[in-house]
Amino acid sequence: MRAGNPARSAARWIALAAVVALLAALPWCGNAVLVQFGISALLLATLAQGWNIIGGYAGYPSFGNSVFYGLGAYGVAIAMAQYQLPFWVGMLLALGLGVAFAGLLGLAVLRLRGHYFAICTLGLALVMTAIVSNLPLAGGNIGLVLPLLGNAALFYELALGLLVLATLTVFWLARSRFGLGLIAIRENEEGAAVMGVNTTLYKVLAFMLSAAFTALAGGIYAYYITYIDPAGVFDLALNVKMIIMAVFGGPGSVLGPVLGAFILSVISEILATKVTSVASMFFGIVIVVAVVFMPRGISHLVAHVRQAGWRYFVDNVRAHRL
Amino acid sequence: MDAILEARGLTKRFHGLVAVNGVSFQLRRGEILGLIGPNGAGKTTLVNMVSGTLAPTAGDLLFEGRSVRGVPAYRRAHLGIGRTFQVMKPFPGMSVLENVAVGALFGANGGERNLERARAWARACLESVGLGKRIAQRADALGGPDRKRLELARALAMKPRLLLLDEVMAGLNHVEIEEVIEDIRRVRAQGISILVIEHVMKAIKSLSDRVFVLHHGEKIVEGGTAEVLSDPRVVEAYLGRQRR
Repeated sequence: MRAGNPARSAARWIALAAVVALLAALPWCGNAVLVQFGISALLLATLAQGWNIIGGYAGYPSFGNSVFYGLGAYGVAIAMAQYQLPFWVGMLLALGLGVAFAGLLGLAVLRLRGHYFAICTLGLALVMTAIVSNLPLAGGNIGLVLPLLGNAALFYELALGLLVLATLTVFWLARSRFGLGLIAIRENEEGAAVMGVNTTLYKVLAFMLSAAFTALAGGIYAYYITYIDPAGVFDLALNVKMIIMAVFGGPGSVLGPVLGAFILSVISEILATKVTSVASMFFGIVIVVAVVFMPRGISHLVAHVRQAGWRYFVDNVRAHRL
Repeated sequence: MDAILEARGLTKRFHGLVAVNGVSFQLRRGEILGLIGPNGAGKTTLVNMVSGTLAPTAGDLLFEGRSVRGVPAYRRAHLGIGRTFQVMKPFPGMSVLENVAVGALFGANGGERNLERARAWARACLESVGLGKRIAQRADALGGPDRKRLELARALAMKPRLLLLDEVMAGLNHVEIEEVIEDIRRVRAQGISILVIEHVMKAIKSLSDRVFVLHHGEKIVEGGTAEVLSDPRVVEAYLGRQRR
């Protein structure tokens, strides 16, 4: 949050804009597999960035974000498959469902802290699968089939746009009064309250903001994949993935979760194609090594490894050993 | 009489334990009121009820003539009640400046909305307690005495009208204690009323206009500083009864 020198920050903005422009041009290189991979990586990065708001900034390790994702997916699916409404109306429904649910849920469970909050949201994620499986409107446990659009490039650009929006929001957050209030809650909630931070309101707002991006990502996914069922979109493994990616990249930083999602997506894709049978084991090893040597993520590594050198890793191992 | 804070029979029970029992007192506007008592007397519990982090079991609390029962801690901060913690609660991952900026951004009347102005005010508060050179450091990199100064700066940045100081001098050496006493005098000169909890008797003697004493959760003596400190009941509470 330091106000670095203006020439360097301008150079950084230009570099970032160039990266976004390059990414936006990717569908025109004509490789369908690459575009498909890109959509999934961009959506995952959006999810990691969404989780970053509640988990990284406010410090509440949410396992409920997969619920917002599922609600977003069902919002679009119900609008398009059951009522033949256009996609954008579905996205509004997805947004409304996710945000409203986060608000209600937040009021109830954000009074719990640490492990208790994690366990409570975890339980909720399990319950949601069962509830949606029994809703006729949502197609029960058979699921819903959406109209086929077959335009991968469009979904790619939508996912990229959403990721850019989420990242700009977090960029603003990191420099705002609201964001500083969230960090204060993460660092010491009681201290934040006696200094005048309305902790309940701030936590619920952060949860709703987190849910907004997560639900929209779910909505894009539903239309892109054209078929969803409860077990597929209310998937706890997806929530775990968001957390791993955000933490790997650097929770509570602006670009960390995005970098984390991209790097881990690439690693997991390469492993899955080259060493198929033991890919998940290798993936696990990557995570373990990362947590041991750089527990505060890539963004922290990039900022500190230059001055500390290899000692950075040694110090981390020392500081966090059990 | 113009009381900024008035407690009426404040009581706090933790299940069977009565931590604070029917305590009433008044803190006059512009006054420094000392609160002393042996360890476990209920001093911090009392401060927690005033700052709003603990709800009293019974009794009422009036700030500037209005009851603040049921008013949450952050609203009391907006009303102008600032405090420090005996067990310090800095935001460890933030810089010293940001720690204090939180107080400026969210303190009395909801705080300063402009980030730059809040930072400037936070810097001024840090300079007033002698931490001007440490603003870029992380809060958890500060040593003990500097953490105490940080606590004070964070509370001052809120622009409080009432300041609750919970053992800000514990662990400081003589020179540092003199410095903090001077800091507190300057705070009072700005018109801020202060409740000082302290074990350092030198500080209580040189700062307080009046003192009251808690013992086993009850107020046993109240009055001018010199007379209270020489009161036999107070000596007994601290040292025990003399055998004959």
